[in-house]
Amino acid sequence: MSELAVLIEESATRLFEGFADSDAHVMMEAGEFPEKLWADFLADGWLRTMLSEDNEGAGLGLAGGMLLMRLAGYHNVPLPVVESLTGLYLAAEAGLDLDDELLIPVVLSTIDNNNKKIKLCNVPWARNAKAIVVAFEADGQTQLVQINVDQFDLVKGNNMAGEPRDNVSFNASLLVAAKPLNNISIEQILSWLALGRAAQMAGALRSVLERTVEYANERSQFGRQIGKFQAVQLQLAVQAEMTSASICAVDAAIRHLGTTEEWELIASAKITTSESAGYAAKTAHAVHAAIGFTQEYPLQLSTRRLWSWRDEYGSETQWSAKLGEHCLQLKTDNLWSWLTTQTGS
Amino acid sequence: MKKLNFEPVITAEKEASLRHEVRAFLAEYGEFKTSDLIDSWSVCDTEFSRAIAAKGWLGMTWPTEYGGGGKSYLERYVVIEELLAAGAPVGAHWVADRQSGPLLLRFGTEEQRQAFLPKVVKGECFFAIGMSEPNSGSDLASIKTKAEKVDGGWLVNGSKIWTSWAHACHQMITLVRTAPPSDNRHAGLSQFIVDLSAEGMTVRPIVTLAGEKHFNEIFFDNVFVPDNRVVGNLNEGWSQVMAELAFERSGPERFLSSYQLLEASIKEIREAGLTKQSSKVIGEFVARLMVLRQMSLSVANQLQEGKLPINEASVVKDLGTSFEQELPEAMRLILDVEPSSSAEDGVERMLSDAILKAPSFSLRGGTREILRGIIARGLGLR
Repeated sequence: MSELAVLIEESATRLFEGFADSDAHVMMEAGEFPEKLWADFLADGWLRTMLSEDNEGAGLGLAGGMLLMRLAGYHNVPLPVVESLTGLYLAAEAGLDLDDELLIPVVLSTIDNNNKKIKLCNVPWARNAKAIVVAFEADGQTQLVQINVDQFDLVKGNNMAGEPRDNVSFNASLLVAAKPLNNISIEQILSWLALGRAAQMAGALRSVLERTVEYANERSQFGRQIGKFQAVQLQLAVQAEMTSASICAVDAAIRHLGTTEEWELIASAKITTSESAGYAAKTAHAVHAAIGFTQEYPLQLSTRRLWSWRDEYGSETQWSAKLGEHCLQLKTDNLWSWLTTQTGS
Repeated sequence: MKKLNFEPVITAEKEASLRHEVRAFLAEYGEFKTSDLIDSWSVCDTEFSRAIAAKGWLGMTWPTEYGGGGKSYLERYVVIEELLAAGAPVGAHWVADRQSGPLLLRFGTEEQRQAFLPKVVKGECFFAIGMSEPNSGSDLASIKTKAEKVDGGWLVNGSKIWTSWAHACHQMITLVRTAPPSDNRHAGLSQFIVDLSAEGMTVRPIVTLAGEKHFNEIFFDNVFVPDNRVVGNLNEGWSQVMAELAFERSGPERFLSSYQLLEASIKEIREAGLTKQSSKVIGEFVARLMVLRQMSLSVANQLQEGKLPINEASVVKDLGTSFEQELPEAMRLILDVEPSSSAEDGVERMLSDAILKAPSFSLRGGTREILRGIIARGLGLR
């Protein structure tokens, strides 16, 4: 692990472990915002992880934020960690007024000028936000506009893990208040959000693997631990392979943040984690059998998140198509020369 | 549960300039035969091996006192991945450079190092692997080839099989039983350096289903091996073999065997206008390749740090060989051609080669099941 990762893990682990002992997951799924957890999260300053010290932040940058997201994924933290950190970071970059309120980032890829209403689907945690910050492109310039909670209509919804995913609509005329967001493209914002999810998934994958191996070593059937059966070992070995590939892909993408090859590595990280999510969840549930299928057993907190997160901010199909299309239109002599210069190391 | 470590590595400018040097050399060397591009590290071309030896690309990481390059594992990584990605015929020296040399550096005597390493570096001495036997494949500890102590050395009797290029190699690191089997089945095994031209050796070729002629069966009839050709400690061959595996299992050859097919397929897709229906599959394989490179580089870096990441090497090999095996299966579904074994050129020939050679990818160097068993042990399940 890098020094930054060790630093973050050492300081945030205790807080996140404390969350697991609370009834916050039940609250969240019942539709309540885990206020106490959020207050603790703010009190420790984690919301400002990615902000520079000029903005009273921790100065740990995007990389530091992603490492925190990975840890949050490991601990199933029922808070909008990816969204809150990224939203505040974008607000700071656009020079908006900053306070410790929840801002949810949304990327608007296309704008239909004939439509007077802008409709956004599955906006994470919108109901709990002070505002959504909407990024879009106009005349080749990225713009960011803050739409406050009293300016949008909201229909509640949630993903398979019970995390809020609301439909939001607001008047298109509000976009005129946007401020320029310099040196950041909307594709970049979308890729950072995807990496945030990939980081969470890498954390959740590690947690699912550890829990499943532990269970296989405890549970006995036919007079021995089920982990002693070769059929079980082979499946868990593959799960471990895919989990380490996911962690490595996310680590590599984090390492290359801010370089020209950033998005390709993020694509590879989101593809790898999303693909691994299904296999890991399937295997973990097979090994746990009926107990894992219950609400009282905590495996479902990770697996329902993995099933949801693999599709959020682009599934493996969408990212593969984008990466593949890019590779089929390369200007370099061949794939290899691109692969060795544009994909890190 | 032991954590698997794949800390990513960022290579430096030194490696980038070396990469360009390899590319310039390959461009000048000329094109390789299409039929040699798939699994090019099973293609033996002694002339090519000597050409890259002249560039200093054999024994790159070995100390200069043995003629080695004194370079880092990352520099070696860059050179071998460039050669493999280009489909260069590196089979003749592959084993000597990858594992026999490092084995001698780790466990060999000074005399052994002086006797072999400088010749390997010059491309004048090639090594074969003498592990499998007709009745011992995955269960390596069950080998029967045995050595009896005689004055000044050992008399070896038995046989080895699936030995690639035994007829073109000079020496073979041979695993033999030097003490009778006991309760500890891993005890009593030793590694010998056996001269393949020694009296009493018979080499019989075995043709693969793809028509390749690299496999052999080797018979030992009272072959004399002098005492100074025992590698490391007598009866401790098993742990030495295990150490060799970190080198054998983690390199880029574990996912680049069919790589040239990906390049050829991309060319074909562009020419035939199949971009739309192919991009998702291409993207998926490129993403896997990107991660495999990161993982394999990470292991190379750990070897540099003097670690022996055997579990990580097993992960790279299992994921890597799945990649190189699945690649032809995926390409045949998006390309509008039928594989052809008679075509001299083109993607139809490469598809045919890749499909026919692919079964061996996950067998050589430890089968999937063996690798997964090692990983399961690392997880604490065994």
